[in-house]
Amino acid sequence: MKMVATKKMQGRGFGGGRLRKRDLIGWGLMLPSLLLFLFFVWWPLGSNIGLSFFSSVGFSANKFVGFANYATVFQDPIFLKALLNTLKYVGWSLLIGFVIPIFLGLLLSEVVHFKGFFRTVLYFPSMISGIAVVIMWSFLLDPNAGAPLNAIITALGGAPFRFLDDPNWVIPLIVITMTWRGAGGTMLVYLSALQTIDNSLYEEARIEGASFFQRIHYVTIPHIAPTIRSLLVLQIISVLQIFYEPLVMTSGGGPDGASESLMLLAYQYAFVKTGKASLSSATSVILSALTILLTIVYLTFVSKQKKKAPQDV
Amino acid sequence: MWPESQQTKDLAMFDVWKDRFEAAYPQYDVKGAPYTYSVDTVNAKAQANKLPTIFQTWFTEPSMLVSNNYIKDITGPLTSLGWLDKMDSSMRSALTFDGKIYGVPRDGYGLGLVLNLSKLEFYGILSDVDGDGKVDLYDKNGKPLYPTTFEQLYEDSQIINEASDGVEKGFLVLSANKNGGWQFSNMAWNFGAELEKEGTDGKWVGTLNDSHAVEALKWVQKMAAEGLLLNNVTLDYSEWYSRLSSQVDMALVGNDVLSLAITNGGMDKDDLALVPMPKGPNGDQYSLFGGTPFVFAANASDDQVMGALRFLEFMGRSPETSDASKSAIVEGDQVAIQKGMPILPTIKAWSDASYLSMADGVENSYINVDMNYYNDFFNSIYTIRHSEVPYYAQDMYTILDGVLQEVLMNPDLADCQSLLTTANSTFNSQYMSKL
Repeated sequence: MKMVATKKMQGRGFGGGRLRKRDLIGWGLMLPSLLLFLFFVWWPLGSNIGLSFFSSVGFSANKFVGFANYATVFQDPIFLKALLNTLKYVGWSLLIGFVIPIFLGLLLSEVVHFKGFFRTVLYFPSMISGIAVVIMWSFLLDPNAGAPLNAIITALGGAPFRFLDDPNWVIPLIVITMTWRGAGGTMLVYLSALQTIDNSLYEEARIEGASFFQRIHYVTIPHIAPTIRSLLVLQIISVLQIFYEPLVMTSGGGPDGASESLMLLAYQYAFVKTGKASLSSATSVILSALTILLTIVYLTFVSKQKKKAPQDV
Repeated sequence: MWPESQQTKDLAMFDVWKDRFEAAYPQYDVKGAPYTYSVDTVNAKAQANKLPTIFQTWFTEPSMLVSNNYIKDITGPLTSLGWLDKMDSSMRSALTFDGKIYGVPRDGYGLGLVLNLSKLEFYGILSDVDGDGKVDLYDKNGKPLYPTTFEQLYEDSQIINEASDGVEKGFLVLSANKNGGWQFSNMAWNFGAELEKEGTDGKWVGTLNDSHAVEALKWVQKMAAEGLLLNNVTLDYSEWYSRLSSQVDMALVGNDVLSLAITNGGMDKDDLALVPMPKGPNGDQYSLFGGTPFVFAANASDDQVMGALRFLEFMGRSPETSDASKSAIVEGDQVAIQKGMPILPTIKAWSDASYLSMADGVENSYINVDMNYYNDFFNSIYTIRHSEVPYYAQDMYTILDGVLQEVLMNPDLADCQSLLTTANSTFNSQYMSKL
């Protein structure tokens, strides 16, 4: 089936050595998108990579310096801190934010009554602006005695907790904020995957005497495993680019750099520290390299899934 | 400079000024181009040649704007208008690079200590001494009741902390977004520090770790260790008014932003006072002095620059004493009153005697606050004002933010000397060595 399709394609396209009217229409339809991509994505991307090899005046390239900007970035103590923090964000997000949507999806798939209501309620935080969410959580997590969460803690006899101002807690708390906002959306993806599972499999499992957890283990998980793998990689890529949460919640990566991320560092090189636009470019390229690496992993997963699923051919 | 569309009262006022200007100078056509300066947007706008002909920034910015070739040398037009010698000398030097002038000052500010009067009266630090129903800043002998030294500020903070059972604090220390370093530099000067100095070889170096700066940092450490500060480790200047209205009773604030306590913090203007910066242990007293200049896009033509400079007269922001200038100052105050803002004396950008006479005359008739709460500040500001450090001020502030955060996080363990030595080493190696 696949072979035949490929041969047909060869006969119609460039492989056949002729550019037909139909191909021209195809390219014509793609042209606006290609131009937009060229202008808004590839050109800035290329300029940024280029700038990372030059010293800069403002955002203009000045003198070619080779890999000197990369060397400077790697020698800056805050870079190592930001790199480690970024990996911590990823680690905590997997620990906190990865399992919760699966759990919510499973719960919701079992709900019989008011399913739409629960789906809306759980998805609601995803509809709130990200900035509004982090400002709201910053207010809740204020470290002083009269602030909302600390008021409860002190009323219960505890001492005010520093929350975001505690370097050991700041990253997990930011991840909780992200999870609170994002879990509903991810849950819907899992829910749709769960709804594709044939009910007869569960019925058969029940007849065989499988418990709830055994049904999850032997029926549900294997069927949603491709979705889990894909979302896992997407989540890692997304969290690698964490930026506005520490920018807003900890006034730019505080306390003392404990929540600094690579993306935030790139922003600070560009807009906060004097004359360091080239270092921002170098940091962005390093972050991109990490992200591309994980995207390749993701594409490999997708490719394998397509090969396994005959209906996709 | 040009108001945003939602600032309807200001916009209407600018439209009046525009009509007046175009009637007086028909060869010019004024087009409003609202732009609120920010470090995030200025690079993109400059690269795209989209900066307005004239825009406002802060005194900390022109060095970066000049080194990136984003703004224009306007020495020639200023000379031909006869404005150069009328400019406040301190502000003029902040806008001068290699002997060329790159902007026109709008006004200045100095840091002082803002007081929440009703709270300080509640805690017994201030009182109604003369029985006129208003809080007084002085005792019967004219001695200030408000803290005039950092030691008194510490003692008053102890009183507030004890009386409020730790819920309210006496003083606000900032520590993030460069604002901590910015305010700490003023505190350090008052403790006797220099922060930057010129060596015998003529080369400038950072001296963040001199003994006086360490003493200033130890004062912050003492305040934090005894629970006299808010628990926050990362606070910036956008929060002083909300904290002043609810959690702290004193903070370091510039006279130019006091209205935010009313418009954004919900405070009553009669609850506010601004007094001079507290003195350090050796009696040193400085007020960090900065302000707002107008600067001109590098790609603006000479005609555009001249037109924009002439328009400043119609905004009441030039040294000219014409009817148009006077009307604009009056209208500016009237609109401020309509917006519920306090009208205070301003730190003038021009030192010309006839201009000062005209501007002060108009201004005094609109002042709507009790000047007893502000006289000490405005009477002293011209003698105690201190410009920001000459080199890499913003970068120094960023580094000092980190030091302050470390002290606030671990007040019992932080080694102030060691932290400032490391900070100084970073500052010199990453920035000052490039001078």
